[in-house]
Amino acid sequence: MRPPTTPRERAAPDPAPESSPAPATPDEAAPDRASGPRAPASSESSSPAHEPVTDLSDLPPVWSGRHGPAAVLPGVPLLAALALWVYAVRHTDVSRLDDFGLVTALHPAFWAGLAVLTAGFWFTVRDPRRPGGWAAAYVLGLLVMERATQAVLYPTPLYAWAWKHDGVVDHLLTAGGLQTADQVGDMAVYDQWPGFFAAQAALVRLLGVESTAMYMAWWPLVSSLMLLLPLLLIYRTFTEDRRLVWTGVWLFYVGNWVGQDYFSPQAVAFALHLGVLAVVLRRYGRSGGAQGRQGQAVWTVVLSVLVVAIVISHQLTPGMLAASLLALCLVRRYRGWVPPVTTVVIFLAWCLTAALPFLSAALPDMIRSVGDIGGNVATGYGATPTGTGAVATSWAARLLSGTVLLLAVAGMWRQRVLRHRAMPLLLISAAPLPMFVASSYGSEMIFRVLLFMLPGAAFFAAAALLPEVRTLATGPGEGTRTPAPARGALRRGIGTGGPLLVLLAGTLAFVPSYSGKDRINYFPPEEVALVQRLFDEAPEGSAVVAANRNYPLAYESYGTIGHYWFLEDDRRHVDEIVRRPAATLARDMTGVEHPGRAYFLLTQGQFANSEMNGQLTGEQLNRIRESVAASPRFRLVAQNGAGAVYELRRERPEGTERAEGGEATEGVEGAEGAERGAER
Amino acid sequence: MTPQDFVVRMLPPFGGWLALAALALPGGSPLRGAAVAAFLAAGPGAALVGLCGPALRARPARGPVESHGADFARRSDLLERMMLGVLLSVCAVMTVATVLIATHTFSAWRVLLALTLLTTLAAFCPRLRASPPAPGTSTTRKGSAL
Repeated sequence: MRPPTTPRERAAPDPAPESSPAPATPDEAAPDRASGPRAPASSESSSPAHEPVTDLSDLPPVWSGRHGPAAVLPGVPLLAALALWVYAVRHTDVSRLDDFGLVTALHPAFWAGLAVLTAGFWFTVRDPRRPGGWAAAYVLGLLVMERATQAVLYPTPLYAWAWKHDGVVDHLLTAGGLQTADQVGDMAVYDQWPGFFAAQAALVRLLGVESTAMYMAWWPLVSSLMLLLPLLLIYRTFTEDRRLVWTGVWLFYVGNWVGQDYFSPQAVAFALHLGVLAVVLRRYGRSGGAQGRQGQAVWTVVLSVLVVAIVISHQLTPGMLAASLLALCLVRRYRGWVPPVTTVVIFLAWCLTAALPFLSAALPDMIRSVGDIGGNVATGYGATPTGTGAVATSWAARLLSGTVLLLAVAGMWRQRVLRHRAMPLLLISAAPLPMFVASSYGSEMIFRVLLFMLPGAAFFAAAALLPEVRTLATGPGEGTRTPAPARGALRRGIGTGGPLLVLLAGTLAFVPSYSGKDRINYFPPEEVALVQRLFDEAPEGSAVVAANRNYPLAYESYGTIGHYWFLEDDRRHVDEIVRRPAATLARDMTGVEHPGRAYFLLTQGQFANSEMNGQLTGEQLNRIRESVAASPRFRLVAQNGAGAVYELRRERPEGTERAEGGEATEGVEGAEGAERGAER
Repeated sequence: MTPQDFVVRMLPPFGGWLALAALALPGGSPLRGAAVAAFLAAGPGAALVGLCGPALRARPARGPVESHGADFARRSDLLERMMLGVLLSVCAVMTVATVLIATHTFSAWRVLLALTLLTTLAAFCPRLRASPPAPGTSTTRKGSAL
């Protein structure tokens, strides 16, 4: 335990009665919970800055039910919520998802469970008699309901990007080493930041499983759990108030809908990023004298180990970390240059050696995007929510993020003292904002900035939700401030119920924000089996043509099998494919050399992605499939309820010209007919 | 060193050797998975935190301004050690695996063996201690009334 070193620290009140030792001095006396609001301690006036102290311990009087059955009372809502969750997942059918994803598929018991859990958490965390373990149990319950539901419900892992990372791990295991752009093209970027994938390659072999697909559905839960300890430590650096800490953690998890917790390097790198911040905030605050340097070398080694792992795993996170650490230097007590310099040196060392091939190729584009804020914030073509479900869930996500950020602003505004004390956290929250100027990061920068702002934003948002936060004035001798007036009963009631409603709304809004697009992200076992069959029979040098990359195993064998996703091509070419599907696609696919083959793959994941993101409609994609199916240039390889695979014939059958000519006319007429239909 | 300290100190390397032994079990076996996952998630980090613990603790931690509870600070330190145990383990796995992949000497068995040896070495090494302040160096904060 660090002894209080400044008059202000010695004078400040202690809002955690159950953890306080016997007070050594009158100034350190813990407040008497039963005696109602506490008078300001006189020694608070001795603060050098004459700074008022926030007392978050304005809690109801203690009652005597700490032991016996009452001690386990907080567990009742938690167990009820988990029982409802179990019932809900056993009675939820995900085989027919609509445009609202999991939202409409979930059994109503799930929503009831989430509401019970939130209410139980709120009343438990605000009760000073409850041990802190109950709040932790509720947060773990939230993580199970939030991040494990999909893993339990869906028989296959979600998300095409997770499947892509499975492909990268598989490739590393096959190649046995890192490869260059000459060997694997654009995918060499993963070989230049291989930390996460190398570790997963080892894990697959050590577990003795076939691939990461065996466990990657659980990664959102694992990566979210990894964030818990760093988050707690960061928050506990600024407050001892259990309510503030745990409500901040709750809001962080609820507001973290952006989906970067899936099986990915950034999920792990973000946990390490928070770990570095926790270490710097706790151990690098200036304490003066020789003690300020004591043990610093060992801590710097620890910091370097964490930074090295971040740098070898992910491109963006080191930049965000450097920005955060530099922002921290704006506060006098964190004006030590060791953490930012260590981070920047390690980052630069990696960029100028292992990652140099990618960076030198991408540098012109990166320089062009600097300063293009509009372009960097834009989400790009193929990312426009289309249809009632996609639009509604997108708005739910925006409202959720907007609410958390607005609450954070309200918390900063209300809590003047907290704002001052937690200024480093405020700076860390603002540090990612300049990234908007720097890069679009593949149209994802807005989501990444939101993610990196969230730890600080959630802390201040929690401060806005806490009722009856009093600002204790400095002592009468100083007379710089007076105590806040006591709140009325009505206001106290609103102060309790209002925040609960906000917390409840935010918690429920997480589900559509996070799982509202599961129709896009879920690939049923039939779809996985269909694509697997394609790759099982495709010889080396083959090419797979598909509408987009939203299907499982899309990057299977990417070292030997090429891809072409026509919806990512020039719009005029897409229009040509819509007008003359089979002929245009056949022409696109003829470049594949023997012994490779050219395949056309269309699955329900591609349909969902195209329809819900404003690309081609289901009708247009169906017409493409029918055209290919009817064309003599293609032969059917496999099909099931989730899609079909066709192969381009090597020999051009007789009469093809005539057939394609007829198709062209039909295609144009069909397209015009579709347009007329859309107008009606 | 008390017997209890010895057990705590030897637990991480024991976990590593146990995980190595568990590789003899069939692939996908829950026991093998549990032994491997538990060691990779906490073993190397716990050993490193144990090795550096005294030196790390020499540097005071910054806590909340209003803090007076010794328990609060103790719990924060415990949380910090747990966090470092997990995160350093993850870092060690990623770094060792990357080095082996980059040098074309990768095999999962080598990754686990290297981590187990590292953990064993850390457990047997004498604990690192921060050097005491130089004599005559003022430990009083500038501007402090103390």
